[in-house]
Amino acid sequence: MKADEKNSGRIHPSALRGRGLPSREDSAGVGLSGPDREESSAMSRRSVLKFMAASAVLSTGFLGCTRKPPRKIVSMADQPEYSRPGIPLYYASTWTEGSVPYGIMVKTLDGRPVKVEGLPGFPLNRGATNAAMQASLLGLYDPTRLKGPKKGKASISWEKADAALVEAIRNARSTVLITRSNLGPSERAMVERFCRAAGNARHFVHETVHDGPRRSAWKKIYGPASGKGEGGELTPDLSKARVVVSLDADFLGTDGPFLEAIRHFATTRRPDPKNPDAAPLSRLYAAESDMTVTGSNADHRIPLRPSLILPLVQAIRAALEGRKGELEALAKKEDYDIEVLQALVKDLDSHRGASVVLAGPHLPESVHAAVCLLNHAIKAPGATLRWNPAPPALEVTDPSEIAAALNAGVDNLILLGVNPVHDWPGGGFEKLLARSPFSVGHGLLADETVSTCTISLPSSHNLESWNDAAPWSAFRSLCQPVIAPLHDTRQEAESLLRWTRLLEPEDGSLKECRDWHDFLRSEWKGILANEGDDFIRAWEANLRHGFAGAFYTYPFPEPNRERAEALAGASSARPGGLEAVIKPHHALHDGRFASNGWLHELPDPVSRLVWDNAAAVGPATARELGVEEGDLVTLSSGKRKIMIPVLVQPGVAPRTVVVTLGHGRTRAGRLGSKVGVNTAALLGDGGAGGTAWLLPDVKIARTGRTHRLVRTQTAFSMDDRPIVLHGTTQEFAGNRDFVKDRRHVPEKIQLHDEFDYSEGRKWAMAIDLGACVGCGACITACQAENNIPIVGKDECGLGREMHWMRIDRYHEGDEENPEVLQQPMLCQHCDNAPCENVCPVNATAHSDDGLNDQIYNRCVGTRYCANNCPYKVRRFNFYNYRKEEEGSPTLELAHNPQVTVRMRGVMEKCSFCVQRINEADFRTKRPGRHIPDGTVRPACQQACPAGAIVFGDVNDPKSRVAKLEKSPLAYLVLDELNVKPNVRYLARLRNPHPDLEHRFRKKTGHEDHDGRGEGGHR
Amino acid sequence: MSRSGSLAVSEPLVEGSVDLARLDGDINRPLESFPTGRWWICISITSILSLYFLVCFVYTIAFGIGTWGNNNPVGWGWAITNFVFWIGIGHAGTLISAILFLLRQRWRTAIARFAEAMTVFAVICALQFPLIHTGRPWLAYWLLPLPNANDIWVNFRSPLLWDVVAVSTYGTISFLFWYTGLLPDLATVRDRAKHGLRKAVYGILSLGWNGSNRAWSHYEKAYLLFAGLSTPLVLSVHSVVSFDFATAVIPGWHTTIFPPYFVAGAIFSGFAMVATLIIIMRKMFHLEHVVTKNHLDVMNRIVIATSLMVGYAYAVEFFIAWYGGVAYERFVFINRALGPYAWAYWTMVSCNVIFPQLFWFRKIRRNVMLIYPIVILVNVGMWFERFVIVVTSLHRDFLPSSWDMFSATWVDIGLFVGSIGLFLTLLLLFCRFLPTVSVAETKAVLPGSQPGRHGGENDDAAGQGEGTEIAGSAAGAGGSHG
Repeated sequence: MKADEKNSGRIHPSALRGRGLPSREDSAGVGLSGPDREESSAMSRRSVLKFMAASAVLSTGFLGCTRKPPRKIVSMADQPEYSRPGIPLYYASTWTEGSVPYGIMVKTLDGRPVKVEGLPGFPLNRGATNAAMQASLLGLYDPTRLKGPKKGKASISWEKADAALVEAIRNARSTVLITRSNLGPSERAMVERFCRAAGNARHFVHETVHDGPRRSAWKKIYGPASGKGEGGELTPDLSKARVVVSLDADFLGTDGPFLEAIRHFATTRRPDPKNPDAAPLSRLYAAESDMTVTGSNADHRIPLRPSLILPLVQAIRAALEGRKGELEALAKKEDYDIEVLQALVKDLDSHRGASVVLAGPHLPESVHAAVCLLNHAIKAPGATLRWNPAPPALEVTDPSEIAAALNAGVDNLILLGVNPVHDWPGGGFEKLLARSPFSVGHGLLADETVSTCTISLPSSHNLESWNDAAPWSAFRSLCQPVIAPLHDTRQEAESLLRWTRLLEPEDGSLKECRDWHDFLRSEWKGILANEGDDFIRAWEANLRHGFAGAFYTYPFPEPNRERAEALAGASSARPGGLEAVIKPHHALHDGRFASNGWLHELPDPVSRLVWDNAAAVGPATARELGVEEGDLVTLSSGKRKIMIPVLVQPGVAPRTVVVTLGHGRTRAGRLGSKVGVNTAALLGDGGAGGTAWLLPDVKIARTGRTHRLVRTQTAFSMDDRPIVLHGTTQEFAGNRDFVKDRRHVPEKIQLHDEFDYSEGRKWAMAIDLGACVGCGACITACQAENNIPIVGKDECGLGREMHWMRIDRYHEGDEENPEVLQQPMLCQHCDNAPCENVCPVNATAHSDDGLNDQIYNRCVGTRYCANNCPYKVRRFNFYNYRKEEEGSPTLELAHNPQVTVRMRGVMEKCSFCVQRINEADFRTKRPGRHIPDGTVRPACQQACPAGAIVFGDVNDPKSRVAKLEKSPLAYLVLDELNVKPNVRYLARLRNPHPDLEHRFRKKTGHEDHDGRGEGGHR
Repeated sequence: MSRSGSLAVSEPLVEGSVDLARLDGDINRPLESFPTGRWWICISITSILSLYFLVCFVYTIAFGIGTWGNNNPVGWGWAITNFVFWIGIGHAGTLISAILFLLRQRWRTAIARFAEAMTVFAVICALQFPLIHTGRPWLAYWLLPLPNANDIWVNFRSPLLWDVVAVSTYGTISFLFWYTGLLPDLATVRDRAKHGLRKAVYGILSLGWNGSNRAWSHYEKAYLLFAGLSTPLVLSVHSVVSFDFATAVIPGWHTTIFPPYFVAGAIFSGFAMVATLIIIMRKMFHLEHVVTKNHLDVMNRIVIATSLMVGYAYAVEFFIAWYGGVAYERFVFINRALGPYAWAYWTMVSCNVIFPQLFWFRKIRRNVMLIYPIVILVNVGMWFERFVIVVTSLHRDFLPSSWDMFSATWVDIGLFVGSIGLFLTLLLLFCRFLPTVSVAETKAVLPGSQPGRHGGENDDAAGQGEGTEIAGSAAGAGGSHG
């Protein structure tokens, strides 16, 4: 452990009063010690003092005559509980930073969190993670975090800050509290108590990205006639759906619990190689304005302007009821692909009870009402749609209501974890903020909002906080701190508790609560009441497990059809101009993660854009508007306008422009500030049956200036090369070996004797291209696990990004609506690795178990290996990309100590997470001993929500990877080079409607012909 | 006739009535007079360029390869282009001094020394690039097979290691060959020296040359041996350099034609560079009668011959790309000719294949004002050839997802331009401190210095030896034989 880390007085979380409990000491789950150690904290304090005294005596007695070392090295005299040096400890917790809570397993080493992994049993994500969860680790160590309370620019103590606030509240006539929507049940209770204590303070919920219109429609349709109370939500169960229709719903990308959706969707996309007809694949239709991750995975996709979705839904419903003319008329009028629509209707008709229609959260109430009716028509409710009466997110307050309240004059404004100065729809929150004489901002960073407030309070990070979450009412998960706060911070709920106690010192129930942790426990006493008297035992069991409760099956409420029809009928006027859609960013969400470099550098899953946002238009629209990629344009909607560069993105619907939120922060640390454009200023007011995110008639005007946009991939055509092999389910049913027939691999000649891998292990990977949706979670997981640096926009622009794992994306066919193919690409660990024989210093060599090892300290950096790599997966440290980390005491802590940090001038690449293999070896105590299949999972596999990546020992015939190797869909990329890669890809199967299969057939026939020609004479 | 060599040069090798003493004076004049203003101007410019090279060199080491334009698909850029370019330049020197010596091409005497010096300096320039292009140049010595405590040996399968062996051998042999050839002339300079220090320095450098029969006989043997040693190097060094590319799997690199193609290209570029420099040198130091138009004519014939070889290689590459039927390779060549770097490709083709065709005309071959632009274009074209090979093959290889563009930075440009400065600075110093034309050998081809005079049959060595030894006294005795 580093000396300065100890010196900073950090105590292991388990030594805190409210101490967390590890879930496992290592992956094998070595025994946990006794349950109740309530008294041990006192013991540990005493023993600290004891050892301090002893070491003082020792140092003066024996070492007093020697020179003092320049830095103190403090021995771990009092070893934190469970901790053994070098052995990771895992804590079950909950990720509460996004709109949906997911279970996480935090890996700590020597007292510091080094990796966020998914909690295996958590029902929503089942061990998978998304990029933001992975990047949460970097957020913890962000050197630009607010490190102590401040009044203006002066630092003050927490006591003074609390006193000032309480004083202000006592003297105030009105107090307003604004929070995010994703508060856990205990925090909601706390908010309520605070509001009561503060003399009926009003609580508003602010979010820029939410599903308000959808929830509101559901509430009107399924809720009580009065319209009172929190509405419920419908969630899809895609594991049961054979036909899925997405209407601008990016359920695999940004909408709802997408980790669950990806997993469920992927399970319906795996053909049974032996009997592909037994369980047919699901079929996904997407009609969407933007090219989304969901649309990229669709079997049939229709680019559609958002205003045309409502008529489409109505026409589909009419067609299902037998009135087909409407659909044909619409298709003719709007130039839709009528064949696709007819197939869609046929599919919905024949899959009643096994199909579902989903609509995006940014669409107006009318669409959601129409979709509800359509779903009822296809008998989705209860089958493929679930009813959740208590969604995890609070209902969001209408911004106009907040504005009205603030305009009316509020004496005290408390902002907890929100950043309206950045993301207020239409902008201008700073004026509203200025109307309050006293304001408090509580946040991780001194962001736009917090730094404008009278008092700025630093929040603890999710990994430093106690919390709970309830994605539905019968389920609770716990969030526990895995490290004591790095800085002088306090979590928001803790602040609320302190303020409430100060405001109502006589409140008996809070008297017992010394801190928020006590309050949380007292809340849980009610939940765990049925566990018997031994609350502590039950509590600790939950801490270890991470959650309590079961999955939900709530009876589906009866819809109010009349109200639904009325809502759905409220068709707004169809605009003729350019329509704009404003969406959350795939990684930065609404901008809350904008200080996180990992997320800025994660390429957009669709455009592969990094470090920027842009106005995406389709190629035809771009020509129509006379703009090119990189042109800086003014995008205006009424009086609101922004300047933004144009991105030409194939697949974006005609006469539609798509922009993302989250960029353009001005105070998001050194990395996140002044990156991209703040598009919140463009958000509408949602009036007249529209929503804030849809702008009916926008104008684009060229400014004559340009802005450089950086995409990590620039060529999207596969050039008829057999790289991503794909076919249709019908083709596969007709010919199991179609993948082998797809291309010609000439006879491969081996010049030298091959190494015999039959003894011992041979590591290999299989990647299912049919399951991979291309979300990019693996990229950030790899980055976190392997200490991969970020390089910034300019370096990315030069083609020097360092990601070991990338996702290649290829477009085929019509430029306006391409078929998308995606392929995770990483070091293929070739048996005949071309990189190995060209290295003059033997810095890359093969191991006996089939790994292509890179020896960093031997590498002199000739880059010959990278040149000779046909997959171009090697990454060179062109500069010292770690300057920032070296200068920051906290950023260095984010490194995984099990992986070497590479210096400038050294080549690096995917190692198949060799440290995890070695760790497993270490645990079996004998290297080379059989490691059970599934024990070693590289970071990418572990994160993948689709389960598309499988790693294992191919010499073990029972291993999953060995079985997948024999799949008829398995193939090797660039097999003809005879480099013998150890990463096998399973060809992607498209599942077009049988009536439309010919469209794909024609194409594959052409490819087949071309493929055969390769390598041979014609 | 023996003196005119076998390359059908019927004109005399040294023009005008030059006697041995005048030749000594003519060739040694630059050494023995104060540098002219022109020389000072030239060396000021080239020194500034060399300094710029140093700046870029230090800058690269301080900040890393990131200061160059290299990126992920294009791991090698200008540095390797420059390396191959300079190594190629050197080849003409070796060819002229070794192979033409063995073939008894007597016309080589006038340009051999200069070409050899050029070889040595070109190798010096070339060696800078592999050193600095490594990510951690302070560890570049790990490429040498040095015993070490970690018991890690170099990888003999790597063409880069073959490069290290080939280029270091080449550098060593070229230097020794050049130095051996210099010995009699250094002695002449020593003998003519009036200043004591000058005498001492050249005395040490001439290794006590006394012009005795034994000295001449050892010298001749050594020279012959070095010529023999150097001859295979002409073919091997650039073949090995081409293996860097040819053994790789990258389409555009993975071709069997590379070794002969590279050797031909090297000789092509080398002769162009010799012509480029010697045209200036002969004008600057008034040696037009020693390095005559005949010499230029012969060199231009070699240029056109190698130009055709190179052109043939370009054509065959395309043919094989089509005939081989590998889609990736086919794409690389189409991309070269029509892709984003087509301008580089067509610069290469026109400079290397089209313009040298003008040398079919005798008038152009013998007109300095016309030769000069053509050989300059050949230099340019040959640099572009290496650029095209290195960059266009890498920037778009197998997977389109990783395709990217390369563009040079000011450091890339600085290192290349600076290396030219370094090369020219060394050459200018060479002109000032060492005889630019082999005095001893040229005397042997002077009219009247033929062996017949002394009764030998065809003994070149003896003729040369005596020529030097009796430099002063025999001046008047030069007969009119031949």
